[in-house]
Amino acid sequence: MLTSNSAYFYPLLGKHTTEAEMKWLDSIPKDNPNALMTAFVKAPRFLSKTIIQEELKDQNLIPNLPGFQVNNWNLVRLSRVWFLSFLVTLSKNELIEKIETLFDTAELNELVALFSSLSILPYPQVWLPRATDAVRSNMGFVFDAIALHNPFPYHEFPELAWNQLVLKTIFNEKPIQMIYGLSQRKNQNLAISLISFVKERWSAGRDVPPEIWQLMVPYLSEGELYLVETLFKSRREEDVIAASLICSQSELKSFQLLLTKHPKFQEEIQNGKWDWSKLGNNH
Amino acid sequence: MCEKQSDLKTNPSHFENPKKTTDTPTHMDLKWDEYKDKIQGFKFFDPHIHMVSRTTDDYQNMAQAGIVAVIEPAFWVGQPRTGLSSFKDYYSSLVGWERFRSSQFGIKHYCTMGLNSREANNERLAEEVMEILPLYVYKEGVVGIGEIGFDDQTELEEKYYRLQLELAKEAKLPVQIHTPHRDKKRGTERSMSIAIEHGLDPSWVIVDHNNEETVKSVLDQGFYAAFTIYPFTKMGNKRMVSIVEQYGAERIMINSSADWGISDPLAIPKTAALMVSRGIPNDVIRKVTYENAIEAFAKSGQIQVSDFELSIPSDPNEKFHGNSVLRGGQLPKWNQNSLYID
Repeated sequence: MLTSNSAYFYPLLGKHTTEAEMKWLDSIPKDNPNALMTAFVKAPRFLSKTIIQEELKDQNLIPNLPGFQVNNWNLVRLSRVWFLSFLVTLSKNELIEKIETLFDTAELNELVALFSSLSILPYPQVWLPRATDAVRSNMGFVFDAIALHNPFPYHEFPELAWNQLVLKTIFNEKPIQMIYGLSQRKNQNLAISLISFVKERWSAGRDVPPEIWQLMVPYLSEGELYLVETLFKSRREEDVIAASLICSQSELKSFQLLLTKHPKFQEEIQNGKWDWSKLGNNH
Repeated sequence: MCEKQSDLKTNPSHFENPKKTTDTPTHMDLKWDEYKDKIQGFKFFDPHIHMVSRTTDDYQNMAQAGIVAVIEPAFWVGQPRTGLSSFKDYYSSLVGWERFRSSQFGIKHYCTMGLNSREANNERLAEEVMEILPLYVYKEGVVGIGEIGFDDQTELEEKYYRLQLELAKEAKLPVQIHTPHRDKKRGTERSMSIAIEHGLDPSWVIVDHNNEETVKSVLDQGFYAAFTIYPFTKMGNKRMVSIVEQYGAERIMINSSADWGISDPLAIPKTAALMVSRGIPNDVIRKVTYENAIEAFAKSGQIQVSDFELSIPSDPNEKFHGNSVLRGGQLPKWNQNSLYID
């Protein structure tokens, strides 16, 4: 029998609810799957949309689940995920049937809660197709629920799906810094896609978000030096900073040499003034 | 709103209604620059609009004109549905994709759920739809059962109308009634008497698509009377002004019912501007274009006025929670006359 993570949510719920709201949360029989499912749907009729502001931002809500965080969720979403956490004690088939039913009839906010909960559900391989599908969603809130501040993709997505998630975050102009495990899952294929993305955008006379270069650094070869030289000539200061960061992090001599031509930025990077998190959509 | 387009081939929408070409036009089309000053400071609530058939240009113009919230009734989409899955996906889109799309433009999106009268005539499918409908009526942001009622006034239409009135009672939701185009007067009376027979409180029922012939009886019996400002087939905006002059503002609301036909998602702001020009007091205008709709549908417990009353993002570049339907790098198009597409 699997144990539930529900206990970790309880103090947080207590802190963000009124007495009447807590009374309703407590009144739901946690051993009755159908009652939990109904409560999942009905939550907005009994709860406010109070935003959860966690003081312990840097600590994990659930100790063995780094990256799972509920900061800036609203109370309805938190309560819905809490209700779902009690379902893990069901048999595998029963659990799958219940979760699938909720998915199939979910509205926008229910979908957000469901995708937020994947990390605390067992049998990750079962949810994988839905999770990769959520990355294809055009509903921004649904996309965010799977792509940002969610450890599920980092642990479960195959490389191709992971790369699509990162690319789509960039296309949607969202901060890639919020993708859990971003730098640990850098890979050559992603870098190749991004290099051609850069060329495409530049040919069209457009810019690229400066923070995306961090994903290419280890894979840039001598042949791409000219891209960085072009970046140094950009009229946008953040492009120049990105170029300087690339050179400072590259293992190639030619790149390091290029940075010496821009002593101001070389010095500022050494003094810790710049890193990727200060650029573009991350900022 | 096509007074100036007399040469335009009429394209009756929603349901056929032959138009006599000798009719005096009662539609007045206004350009944004001609009416924007008149409606400055007004907020509008459109309680009947089918955004699934509308474009992002419409959303932008609606937001610009002060529409802060809409209700999208479930309806017939033009192409008959052949299976339950199409209904499921359609209902899901009303609480999913369409809700999201609307949020991009800072417009709060509600909906009503129901089996429309036209498709109630497909009994096999109607039975299946009635089975899944309860799954959707309790969803967040569902403010009523609608649009339901009569089209051809068949026995099957009546059967499913009655079943859905019972569902509305059970779910404690208001009812949004579609009144037929053909034989409207009798259809309207029949819809109301059946609602009363089922024990519904008339103040929980919004009777839609009224005209000069139906309005008095609807108001006298305590129902809400909604008027659809729709070129060619329904109410003209000039006629609407006369109705407000005659009946006042109590329990009257106007809507656009804009859909896949030639219709106008800006019907409410334009009609409000006409009312301003005709000297109708601002508080009356506010009632029929905003407050009454909220009063009627808020009985569902699903409308939080603070969700849309506080701040209206006037600039579509402001992304709602950082989300955008705009594809990478796109900017919302404000100037429709610009030759350049960057």
